[in-house]
Amino acid sequence: MDKTAMLEVENLSCGYGKTEVIHDLSFRVEAGERLCILGPNGCGKTTLLRALAGVISWQGSVEADGISLRGLSPKQRAKKIALMSQFSQAAFDYTVYEAVMLGRYAHRSRTLFPAETAADREAVQEALRRTGVWELREKLVTKLSGGQMQRVFLARTFAQEPQVILLDEPANHLDLRCQAELLESLREWTADRRRCVAGVFHDISLALAFADQVLLLEGGRKLACGPVEELDSELLDRLYCMDVRQFMRRMYGRWE
Amino acid sequence: MRTGVKMGMLFLAALAAVLLGIGVGSVYVPPGDILAIVTGRIFHMPLPDHIPANYSVMVLDMRLPRVLLAFLTGAALSVCGGVMQSLLQNPLASPFGLGVSSGAGLGAALVIVLGGTLTGLGTFLLPAVSLSFALGTVFFVLFLSAKLDRRMSNVTVILVGMVVSLFCNAVMSLLATGSPAHAQRIQLWQLGSFSMREWSAVWALLPVTAVVFLYFLRYAGELDVMTFGEEQASAMGVDLRRVRGRLMTAVAALTGTAVAFVGIIGFVDLIVPHIARRFFGAAHRRTLPASALIGGMFLVLCDLAARTLTPPHEIPIGSITAFLGAPFFLYLFFGRRKDG
Repeated sequence: MDKTAMLEVENLSCGYGKTEVIHDLSFRVEAGERLCILGPNGCGKTTLLRALAGVISWQGSVEADGISLRGLSPKQRAKKIALMSQFSQAAFDYTVYEAVMLGRYAHRSRTLFPAETAADREAVQEALRRTGVWELREKLVTKLSGGQMQRVFLARTFAQEPQVILLDEPANHLDLRCQAELLESLREWTADRRRCVAGVFHDISLALAFADQVLLLEGGRKLACGPVEELDSELLDRLYCMDVRQFMRRMYGRWE
Repeated sequence: MRTGVKMGMLFLAALAAVLLGIGVGSVYVPPGDILAIVTGRIFHMPLPDHIPANYSVMVLDMRLPRVLLAFLTGAALSVCGGVMQSLLQNPLASPFGLGVSSGAGLGAALVIVLGGTLTGLGTFLLPAVSLSFALGTVFFVLFLSAKLDRRMSNVTVILVGMVVSLFCNAVMSLLATGSPAHAQRIQLWQLGSFSMREWSAVWALLPVTAVVFLYFLRYAGELDVMTFGEEQASAMGVDLRRVRGRLMTAVAALTGTAVAFVGIIGFVDLIVPHIARRFFGAAHRRTLPASALIGGMFLVLCDLAARTLTPPHEIPIGSITAFLGAPFFLYLFFGRRKDG
């Protein structure tokens, strides 16, 4: 595969009000790659995603597929980069199909009654099938289980047709099989075309099983970044202030 | 059933409610006569012989404006309620939570207490002052929320709205206590009434309702996306701060105008959007028109009850809506839980 940066972040700083959380951060994710962002609570993982998705403002330079996000309108940006939040909620009775169709918002024209185009319907159908919720399309989102809900939100993210997907703890509250299915859908999605995924995970084993690149964050700064295989486990120990490998061995060693 | 068919049936039901509202009273006027009188006036045709001349005056100058005012108010409050619930992702939110009603109430109380000395604007003085107070209060709430929390999260807006509302209510109570002579009028205004029955009120409320309603429809897509959370909406391409600011201003203007003419009528804004969602789903391009029709119909019927149940006295409309609304809301909420 030729190496093209899908997501290129240079000297990014951001935070809330006067408090800077992320300091001068640079990294890149190539096409077809999956990056996991690891770090202890409060190191700025979620803040980083929020900045990249345009939820909060930032300084520095961010490019998606070679196009600077600075100066793009919210809709143009949403066509490049999508965020699957940690806390998605459904307050009202939309059907699954309607909820996934909302992912097409950025592709809609600004008229009084924007019609669904053939491209909209195609993208929504593909997203529903890809995530295995096609059969649920007539159901109300408020009646779904946690695992089904996450898959619907993933479908909505796919329907947005971005090139970069940002994930914030996508596997939270899901059982093992749901986690595996969710990450498998994402893996297929990335392998398909010029796309990439950057995700925040708390579960290190899950993260390392899913990703091929890893970014370690410590206090809002980059501690290390590189392929998962080359990850120095001592850095993980330092990051989490514990012997990570010994912990893993204790967890999984019993079955071997 | 198809949405179009359901909407058509709802429209016919609303029309029937309006005809009933005009027809029933001290003298009954049948629907056919009402239509003859109204079309006769519009197209300058002479009345059929069997309709007494005073019917025409009664329908055109007394009942029709009152029913239209009730319908417009119901539509306005319901639509605003639905929009606020979506903006704040909270099924229990209402425009009154932003301080619209308490601001308007404070303005009205001031006019009532200082009343005699200020008669420059005539009948429009009270509505004008309470509308300005309503708008002023909402802008103060939004301004303070933005000051306290740069991201203006929903929780901040709801809390600040509550605090400012309570403060306005306190000042209003002080005013009422300070001048016992006016206390009753203040209290009656707070419960709402359509007895003003003037065409001028209809002509003032109609364009505001129509314009704001179309404005909301234009933002139906954004509203749909925003019900799934602020962060997500922002990442999906909604210009969150701008859209929210515009919509809240529109809500304040419309509720403020309605409240200014008829007083504070609770519960409509809270329950009607839920009824509309039950029958038409959550998508705003369907719920907004449905809320307008259901809300209008509901208030016309409540007003009918208010003026016919205990003649010659009128029951304050606010008590009727709460009397019917409270149990209905409980039924709706817990009925929903059961099949959920």
